[in-house]
Amino acid sequence: MTSISLRSTGLAVFAIALCMSLSAPFAQTKLSRNEIINSLQGAQQKVEITADQLRQAAADQIKKYPGDNSTEVLPLAAKLAQLRQFNLEVTFDFNSSRIRPASYETVGLIADALHTPYLAGQRFFVVGHTDAKGDRMYNLELSQRRADAIRDALITTFRVPAGQLAAVGLGEEQLRDPAKPDSEVNRRVQLINIGF
Amino acid sequence: MRKLSILIAAGIMAMSAIPVSAQTVGFADAIKILANSCGKDINTYCKKANLGNNEIGLCLQENQSKISAQCNTDRVAVTALLEARFLAQAAVPELCNRDIQQYCKLVKPGNGNQLRCILKAQKVVSKKCNEAIDLAGFR
Repeated sequence: MTSISLRSTGLAVFAIALCMSLSAPFAQTKLSRNEIINSLQGAQQKVEITADQLRQAAADQIKKYPGDNSTEVLPLAAKLAQLRQFNLEVTFDFNSSRIRPASYETVGLIADALHTPYLAGQRFFVVGHTDAKGDRMYNLELSQRRADAIRDALITTFRVPAGQLAAVGLGEEQLRDPAKPDSEVNRRVQLINIGF
Repeated sequence: MRKLSILIAAGIMAMSAIPVSAQTVGFADAIKILANSCGKDINTYCKKANLGNNEIGLCLQENQSKISAQCNTDRVAVTALLEARFLAQAAVPELCNRDIQQYCKLVKPGNGNQLRCILKAQKVVSKKCNEAIDLAGFR
């Protein structure tokens, strides 16, 4: 139901960790600041992946395994999976990096969490993912602009120190559910704690 | 402009029955007011503006003669609410300095370490410091 209504309004959605549907097995209550804090705190001291490496890995993946959809797991994915992280849904205009007003609150919650002493001073990747519909290179570029838009809002409107956040777009190169590449569960924003 | 924002924030606090010390709202609650009151106007007049870099704030200001009265009231109020929370957060280290020296002296400064120590020591830290932490939304 969610996907139909979203598609009909031309809404592009970055993912669903929170599902509105009551039938969803992971139906949750409203997203809270503490949920974000609890999922992100307790970083390891050192993470050796840089944002540039991650961007490069995604671009290389498209060159190395061309085709409509990625067939291989992104190198670094296993490393990333070990880190403290949280998935969020942020809605954007179709084919655009403009955050819709309906998602302002979500961005504000990230800001609320990042400003607390529990997460202060730690660094995070803001990673944008799309589903597998459309061109891979286009999706990669769009997800980067969307991740940039979230980072921009956090560091300007909400004054999170810029050095704490690096925006990375991974397009459709790291699907959440590779068995359903076009599913909306793949559209998401991931916050990943990369330590101090 | 900034002065005005602070005055308005003070006004909002004064109107409420809750003591001033228990006020200030989180960033999410503040920006949600903007989305609710101005969402329609934003989607009509600010189709190119994004949330970052004050693009929305500037766009609403430029279109203040066209946007709804509620949006005009709340766009200013939300700016004040955000500012109040920034000020409250920035004030914590100083307002809790004595408590930090007393209870968290051995904790390495930086990365929120000392404030996390102060949060754990809630039962013994001063009222002034605990109030500052509440006001900052750090609990």
